[in-house]
Amino acid sequence: MAARSTLRSIWTSFAGLKQSFTGTSVNSLRRVNVPQISAIEGQIIEVPAGPPPPNPTAKCPIYRWNLQHKYNYTDVLLLSQFIRSDGGMLPRRITGLCLEEHRKIAICVQMAHRAGLLPDHKPKLPEGHVPKRPKPQLNRYLTRWSIDSVKPIYKSGLKWCKKRMDVGHPALKNNVRYGVKPLYIKH
Amino acid sequence: MSSFSRSAQQWATFARSWFLIDARMQPPGKIATMCSVRLQGKHKPIYHALSDCGDHVVVLNTKHIAFSGNKWEQKVYSSHTGFPGGFKQVTAAQLHLKDPKAIVRLAVYGMLPRNLHRRTMMQRLHIFPEDELPDDIRANLTEELPQPREIPRKLSEYTQEEIDAFPRLWIPPEDYKMK
Repeated sequence: MAARSTLRSIWTSFAGLKQSFTGTSVNSLRRVNVPQISAIEGQIIEVPAGPPPPNPTAKCPIYRWNLQHKYNYTDVLLLSQFIRSDGGMLPRRITGLCLEEHRKIAICVQMAHRAGLLPDHKPKLPEGHVPKRPKPQLNRYLTRWSIDSVKPIYKSGLKWCKKRMDVGHPALKNNVRYGVKPLYIKH
Repeated sequence: MSSFSRSAQQWATFARSWFLIDARMQPPGKIATMCSVRLQGKHKPIYHALSDCGDHVVVLNTKHIAFSGNKWEQKVYSSHTGFPGGFKQVTAAQLHLKDPKAIVRLAVYGMLPRNLHRRTMMQRLHIFPEDELPDDIRANLTEELPQPREIPRKLSEYTQEEIDAFPRLWIPPEDYKMK
């Protein structure tokens, strides 16, 4: 315990920190502009402990909160807890998600990015970077494939052999549906 | 309404109304079905194919239409000029950049019945790429139709209280550096 506190004091020796062991903590990095020395200051941000989960004995956080088949690409408040500030997913060994739920959340995060629902989680471009061709701003949602990887369907075929366009993702086929209409994935 | 006089009831039944639809962030197919139903007059109990009972429909903001899936890249609009070698195929994205009204217009055209009334019904459809309307059309509007698709909220549109009210699902380990 003493060794750990001395380690922490060495690591964060450039700033005074409030350390506390109650509640949850989130570490974040910040660059400090000191003239000759470039230093990174870590801050332990305190987050107050929230309400207890309805199913505390489960291993995966989605199962702990009983949200298994209930989330979609629009639930940005849920998805934003599992992404980094540049939009990438956090590793499974850190978040504690089980494999299927990690994949489903990754798919929903991709669809949310393509729908433009996470505008502040874009990767940082180097300074002064001007894109060569201005990209067309087209609204989209439930996009399964990446935009540059899809080819146009020039010959779509007759009704019995039609090349359908994919919408949504089959991984989310077991989501709860409150209406009567079935999930329509091939348009 | 039963409180109307006979002439008022007659007018209310047979008058041609003007509907307004906002197509911002909406799928063009769903907009087109709503338009085609009202252009034919199928939303009226007095409908008959020969009785010219269709209404006018005004569609706004067709420049901000939203396709589901990868249709912007996959959907292809084909046409032939009639001359040899005149087969043109354009993706939805290219067509939209060239003419923002074309996608909704072609969708409605394909959903109307294939008879001689189709052209007159298309003349009663008024499409505008942005919010601006001419004043005479704005004066004619009677009803606005609800949008078919619920627009999801972006993360930046949530207030800080709503973000704080949502419980944290997992606690990061103390020595993990979040970027």
